[in-house]
Amino acid sequence: MSLVARHLEADGLPTVIMGCAKDIVEHCGVPRFLFSDFPLGNSAGKPFDADSQAATLELALRVLESAPAPRTTVQSPQRWNDDAAWKLDYNNLAKLTPEDIAERRKEFESVKATIKDMPGRK
Amino acid sequence: MASAAEHDVPIPYMQRTRDYYQTLGFPAYRWAHFADVPFAPLAKPLAASRVALITTAAPYQPGVGDQGPGAKYNAAAKFYTVYSDTTESAPDLRISHVGYDRKHTTAEDSRTWFPLAALQASVKAGRIGALTPRFHGSPTNRSQRVTLESDAPELLRRCREDAADVVVLVPS
Repeated sequence: MSLVARHLEADGLPTVIMGCAKDIVEHCGVPRFLFSDFPLGNSAGKPFDADSQAATLELALRVLESAPAPRTTVQSPQRWNDDAAWKLDYNNLAKLTPEDIAERRKEFESVKATIKDMPGRK
Repeated sequence: MASAAEHDVPIPYMQRTRDYYQTLGFPAYRWAHFADVPFAPLAKPLAASRVALITTAAPYQPGVGDQGPGAKYNAAAKFYTVYSDTTESAPDLRISHVGYDRKHTTAEDSRTWFPLAALQASVKAGRIGALTPRFHGSPTNRSQRVTLESDAPELLRRCREDAADVVVLVPS
């Protein structure tokens, strides 16, 4: 998605990315980025929380209209919850047993095979 | 004001993924990385602008397995070419084809990854001028070459065709 934003922007089309993976988006380098410090999958606000979703979009629009330069990141002030322990879980080897790892290896192999077989794959 | 916990920082996804792939025995992934970043100023105020929405979410496809909410990673639900659909109604979009945080979120409310309803409300409120008639889907095939050579130019073409003034991109 970051590559797409860069491509649009290079053609003169202003963009803003709403996302949750701060390091990956900033590593690529994008014009404007609203970062929500939420689990992946919640780039546009909290589930079943219209206020959170509206506030997230509004902040993205403000980033879009007011960023002074490329690589502008604004972090949403919203918190996923008071306890940040959820951040320790995603793909964290320290939290996986050898059985978990074996299971995930198997799953990954099957995913890879599925993608290879997909029509239209270039 | 109380201090935050040491681990209360944005998740270092690149480091986590590198370690994870290495332990699972898979080749390292190289994320896109550029020194220069383009920048285009807004041509007019948002209240007079047409906004395009680009998503990585996938249209629900019957017959390719569980697509959620709460489905396991489902690579068969991926899509490989840019698609577009109307912004007039609410499409059935899913994210079972990407690596979202399945432990801490359930993917039950599509408004958390596809802000069409919030954008429609912003049009109503006069905050933005209008939405383009279509939103667009951007494939997540992890080939940067395909993204750069095919998908990004096609998305640009469609945004221009719809006379978009600005674009909101929402990776899921």
